[in-house]
Amino acid sequence: MDNGDYPITSLVDAAAAGDEEAWHEIVDRYTPLLGSVIRRFRLATAETEDVVQTVWLRLVEHLDSLREPRALPMWIMTTGKRESMLYLSARRRTVPYDPLDPLWLVSSAEDAEPLADLLHAERHQALLAGLAELPARQRELLLLLVEDPPLSYAQIAQRTAISIGSIGPTRGRALERLRQTFAVRDHLAGPARVPLVSDGAPASTAPQPATWIDRERGDGSDAAPLG
Amino acid sequence: MGVTQHRWDDDQHILDDLSDALGEAALADTIAEYGQGVYAWRTVDQDLLLASLSFDSSLERVQDRRSDPDDPRVLVFTASPLSLELEVMPGHVVGQIVPPGPGEIRVETADGVTFHVEADDVGFFDLPGIPHGPIRLRCDTPTGRLVTDWVRL
Repeated sequence: MDNGDYPITSLVDAAAAGDEEAWHEIVDRYTPLLGSVIRRFRLATAETEDVVQTVWLRLVEHLDSLREPRALPMWIMTTGKRESMLYLSARRRTVPYDPLDPLWLVSSAEDAEPLADLLHAERHQALLAGLAELPARQRELLLLLVEDPPLSYAQIAQRTAISIGSIGPTRGRALERLRQTFAVRDHLAGPARVPLVSDGAPASTAPQPATWIDRERGDGSDAAPLG
Repeated sequence: MGVTQHRWDDDQHILDDLSDALGEAALADTIAEYGQGVYAWRTVDQDLLLASLSFDSSLERVQDRRSDPDDPRVLVFTASPLSLELEVMPGHVVGQIVPPGPGEIRVETADGVTFHVEADDVGFFDLPGIPHGPIRLRCDTPTGRLVTDWVRL
């Protein structure tokens, strides 16, 4: 069995144990999902690069805690979103508050984002996370079927070694499998907001720590006691 | 939900939605390229504690627009029994080892540059400037060694 056919949990186990090929497969499968999460924040290219590098770097060290099949996509969505929001937070210091500015709309509490946009994003992210769960052959076929400009069945047959006559039925099975993935089933089962805090991802709403630097900067001689 | 269910029962509809979703996922090549490159940074040292980012005041601020945007950003990395706290101020970062005690801090960037600072006897340290891009801190103390999550300051 090729890496492309392994379920996510096996890939995570292997990557956590030192298998670099498994890591590459994880990156390939979840790149569209991460791209979709970050895109909503309309960051500049350099900012996007910093965000994706931070998310991947952090993920490498967190694989051990993401062994449940739903954990990895949830972690990627949560971390990608938080790292993107940090740019909004930084910009906020220089941009006056304007409730109609998209920057503020996206960065304010989830419910302030237009509901239609949010549902649209959730729908797309469920499909991209579902796609990542499919075996390689089905994933590749679906990717070829949605290429823009569209490919003919003859071109797809040539690239996949699936005969022209089998493309239709294989497409049907791949889409049925997509409907059965954790991501798509969870999405259809009910609206699930990506929480800002979830197990396996860094928390952001822990109690505020004691303020420990309430003295002159750089003066290390009389540190305040810590909680 | 009902509408989505109905829509995705149809092969062409679910494929169209997938096509839209992929079309919107921009910068795929860049994202994949960064992902492939980071595995070399994986920590293999079993004795090293991974200190996860457990608090980041910037994220609070995004949620709560009443807070003062000029407050320093506070980050807390937790790895029982050690943690590390950072306060990011304009052009300057200070940190604290918890529980307070001496230690050596090494700042690591994703392009391989590292530099050291010493924490004083009560665990206070001072970083010259604010490093650009993702960084993490390694901290060696008499009670243990930790490495933090990657963050951007």
